[in-house]
Amino acid sequence: MNPTKKSFFRRRLESDNSWGYAFIAVALVVFALFTAYPVASAFIISFQDYKPLGSTFIGFDNYAETFKDALFWKSIRNTIIYTILTVPVALLLSFAVAILILPLKKWMQTSFKAVYYLPAVASGVALSVVWLWIFDPMDTGIFNKLISLFGIGNQNWLGSSSTAMFSLVFMAWLSSHGTSIIIYLAALLGIDTSYYEAADLDGATFLQKLRYIVIPCLKPTTLFLLVTGVIGSFQVFQNAYLMTGGGPDNATTMVGLLIFNNAFKYFEFGKAAAQSLLLAGLIAVVALVQFKFFGKEVEY
Amino acid sequence: MKTKSRVLASVLALGLSVTTLAACSSNNNDNGSNNAGGASNAGNAAGAKDTITALLPPVSPTYQENFDQMAKDFNAKYPNLTLKIEPASWEDMTQKLDTQVNAGSPPDIAFIGSDGISKYVQQGMLMDIKDAATPDMISDFDTAPFEYMKNGAGIYGFPAYMEAHALGGNKEFLEKAGIDYKNVQKNGWTYDEFREAIKKGVVKEGNKTSRYGFVFATAGVASKDYLGVLVKGAGMPNAFTTDNKYAYTSKNYLEVLKDIRQLIDDGSMPKELSSVDAGKRWNMFLTGQTMITGKGLATFENSANKNNEKIDANDGSAVKGSIKTDYIVLPVPSFAGQPPVTTVAVDGYVTFRGKKEPSAEHKANVVKAAYFLASGKVAATTNNDLFVANITKSGKTAAEGMTTNRNPDNVAAVGVLLSHAAPARPDIPVELGAKAIKLEDEVIVPKLQALLAGEISPEDMYDAVKKAAIDTFGEDGVVKE
Repeated sequence: MNPTKKSFFRRRLESDNSWGYAFIAVALVVFALFTAYPVASAFIISFQDYKPLGSTFIGFDNYAETFKDALFWKSIRNTIIYTILTVPVALLLSFAVAILILPLKKWMQTSFKAVYYLPAVASGVALSVVWLWIFDPMDTGIFNKLISLFGIGNQNWLGSSSTAMFSLVFMAWLSSHGTSIIIYLAALLGIDTSYYEAADLDGATFLQKLRYIVIPCLKPTTLFLLVTGVIGSFQVFQNAYLMTGGGPDNATTMVGLLIFNNAFKYFEFGKAAAQSLLLAGLIAVVALVQFKFFGKEVEY
Repeated sequence: MKTKSRVLASVLALGLSVTTLAACSSNNNDNGSNNAGGASNAGNAAGAKDTITALLPPVSPTYQENFDQMAKDFNAKYPNLTLKIEPASWEDMTQKLDTQVNAGSPPDIAFIGSDGISKYVQQGMLMDIKDAATPDMISDFDTAPFEYMKNGAGIYGFPAYMEAHALGGNKEFLEKAGIDYKNVQKNGWTYDEFREAIKKGVVKEGNKTSRYGFVFATAGVASKDYLGVLVKGAGMPNAFTTDNKYAYTSKNYLEVLKDIRQLIDDGSMPKELSSVDAGKRWNMFLTGQTMITGKGLATFENSANKNNEKIDANDGSAVKGSIKTDYIVLPVPSFAGQPPVTTVAVDGYVTFRGKKEPSAEHKANVVKAAYFLASGKVAATTNNDLFVANITKSGKTAAEGMTTNRNPDNVAAVGVLLSHAAPARPDIPVELGAKAIKLEDEVIVPKLQALLAGEISPEDMYDAVKKAAIDTFGEDGVVKE
């Protein structure tokens, strides 16, 4: 064996850089295969009339059709309304629950964290079945039983345009806090206790500590949860698909559901890919705006 | 030591990467062999070994239990052929099939509704078997259901059954309401007769309705059924007229919409109808909360009978709160003076192709398998289980020794319904069909939900459908009167 070559390999073997590249290669391969490749593929398909036996290039037709599609704009509007109604309230609830859990003993904290995280582990379909029972339009439904105590008649929760969106929003309010609570709790535990001690010496009340210590210290966490919450909310699909199917009168048709229908119901993969990329662009813009306005005073 | 642990770590990391890649590549291989059906056996000589893949849902309650026997019987009949059955639930059947189709590697045969044929024809993924199906095979089938497996000039599989979409009534409640159901079974009824009949079926306790006259599932997977079933009897047996003009812009369509709203306003149907799904309305029927339900399939009689047996045996698995029910098959009313037309569901064994052109030998083998499943003993057993009529001569012969506890009046009523079944329309171009499906999904169903919820008027819905139809098919592409 060539001694120069051998020493080159040995050098490479002993170099930290090479090992670093080798280790990140795993993640890189997975990312390339399951994220980068599908995105690149979706980009190409968005300019095609996709067919398994041979696609044809159609330029910007899919984009043009999407912009002319009234249902696309309605779905964008629905998604924005859903996001505005769910994300801030969900953050507030998660924050409140985390604050309530914080003073508890460790085993109780763990128990509560597990309980709140449980819906994230449970099957969405199973949860939907339970919610369908809660929203049952006849007098056997839990909500209808509840409101009948106040003399209010049966409501067609998921079947009426006036209540369908609210029903989905309500479902989101009560079933998706596990992750946020755990993150908030971790952030709360990370606040230096000397701040609270100093505040106690100054005679600060609970609300003052909340306002002047907790909220500012949690700004990076809140920003993170807000951005990821908005991204998740813009991609919402399952609830609308399982609970209302987008109805009534498309009142709960979200962009995610529209894309799914175009792709898997009508096999219009090109149009679905174009709409996916437009949604990705929209999410990126919204995230940038959030960083611009809410990220100013955040210290990392 | 340090270098050794690095080497070990990198081997593990590499292993993970290779596993990931292998997962992808093995997937591709699987696709290849599935598709084989079509492709990889291209060079097979006649009589050479071949495997036919079939994706099959639980067509009847005992259907999937018989898969091993079906595969064995097929192999006994054709020793060189293997029938490889992949079971799927109804819930994930479409998703499984669509994923395989769009990956270019569908099974050779899938059990689907004939209304799905145009979608796959448009994708170019169906296998036309007109040159592989023998005259003996074709002549075994009744003509009407067989036509449903055609699209254009192509034949894309064999039908398993033709099922009438009817209504189902509770015999006791019908009699109490003074409805001569036997006459209705024979002669049908008009909308006005039907309206008056279901009014009589309503039972109130104070302000609360304890029994409705009629409940039809309109939510979830059943969302398309209600209007689709009704308009057939209003002079629109298909979304397109015989000269391929879109029919749902006709004035009769508006009449049906008005009638739909009227039945809710009468109090004969629940105002929450837009949220009543198939499971809910069946529960309402068995628990005596409605006199008539829809849509009614033949197998519902079987379900009702079984529930009756459970009630008799004091079996806890009977539907909670259910009462004994004699299920009566009833026709859907006709509208606007038009003749009755029955909506039928023709489901069957549809033949697919992969990315590569299938060989003639493989095509012939797939046809043998599809025919084996759609005829003779397999069909007879399945259809007997479903309470549906056999549509092959061989199936009828095989079913001779089989018994069911069907009400003979119901058997006769289904016969009457099938005598005016909506004819198949293989002549409708796939592009037109696809546009009509999209219009139905994006405009008709959502507007119908709003109409049922009382949020829009029948006229609003009619105008919205008409506008969308003109936008889609053009002024000259729609019916004008």
